[in-house]
Amino acid sequence: MNNNTIQLHELMLSRGTFFCYAGPLSEDVLTSLSGVVKEQLTETDSTSPITNKVFSIFVEQAQNIIRYSGDRMDKSGVGSVSISASDDGFLIEAVNEIKDGSQERLEGILTDLKNMDAAELKAAYKQRLKSGPPEGSVGAGLGFIEVARRSSRFDFCFETHNNVTLFLYRGWVDTPR
Amino acid sequence: MKLPATARTPEVTFEDGSCSIKGECYPEDITEFSAPVMSSLEEGLTNAEHYKVEIELYYFNSSSAKFFYDFFEFLDEQAAGGCKVDVVWRYREDDDTMEEAGEEFEEDLENISFSLESMG
Repeated sequence: MNNNTIQLHELMLSRGTFFCYAGPLSEDVLTSLSGVVKEQLTETDSTSPITNKVFSIFVEQAQNIIRYSGDRMDKSGVGSVSISASDDGFLIEAVNEIKDGSQERLEGILTDLKNMDAAELKAAYKQRLKSGPPEGSVGAGLGFIEVARRSSRFDFCFETHNNVTLFLYRGWVDTPR
Repeated sequence: MKLPATARTPEVTFEDGSCSIKGECYPEDITEFSAPVMSSLEEGLTNAEHYKVEIELYYFNSSSAKFFYDFFEFLDEQAAGGCKVDVVWRYREDDDTMEEAGEEFEEDLENISFSLESMG
């Protein structure tokens, strides 16, 4: 047990992970975490346009877990969100279980977004605003597009173990040199 | 009428012939936030000949984007109906995200006078 504690400590420090939350996420928890994350981001050397992008990706990823995580507790969705910093910028990561049968749909949406340039992302965003949320969406259906627009780049993958599929979702915000 | 700012919602002020929204917007429940704002806006625009809107945002999330879109669409319709609507969108000088957001809303509005102002 002591060993794990030290491993966790060393792992987080070695990868520059200054914020990590794992467990049930609700809107109330997000309100509290937002204060912490903002405080931590103002302590970094980065300018507010950069840290605002990091915060924006963090909120979209957290709300994605709250609303759509396949592992649920009351109003909460279970998952993890973390933010790491390096000389090159920030990495914002989220992991959560997905609902059965949603992998293909998510893969389709995210692959499309990954292949879009800035102008296409803007057009997709506006189109979504006009047409309203897709069926089954709790929010505006804009979260993934928002992450794609605010990040310097993003990636995602799915890992299935023992019939549970985890969705890994990462966004980077580069700092100008 | 004044809705004070909360941790996740902006301060919203309605006066005779004007409305101002200032702060950050990523509410827990967008409908809970937007319903009273939209009804006050509708009320304020009833029989108004001239209406002024001031927006000063530092951050809004994607769920709120839909609210702002509907907010401006409503104003644009009112402006088409004859009310003169002036919108001022203020952003912090170095805030490219909020500057761009203002520009994008402006692009789709046909009847409103929409100006972007950097706050320096």
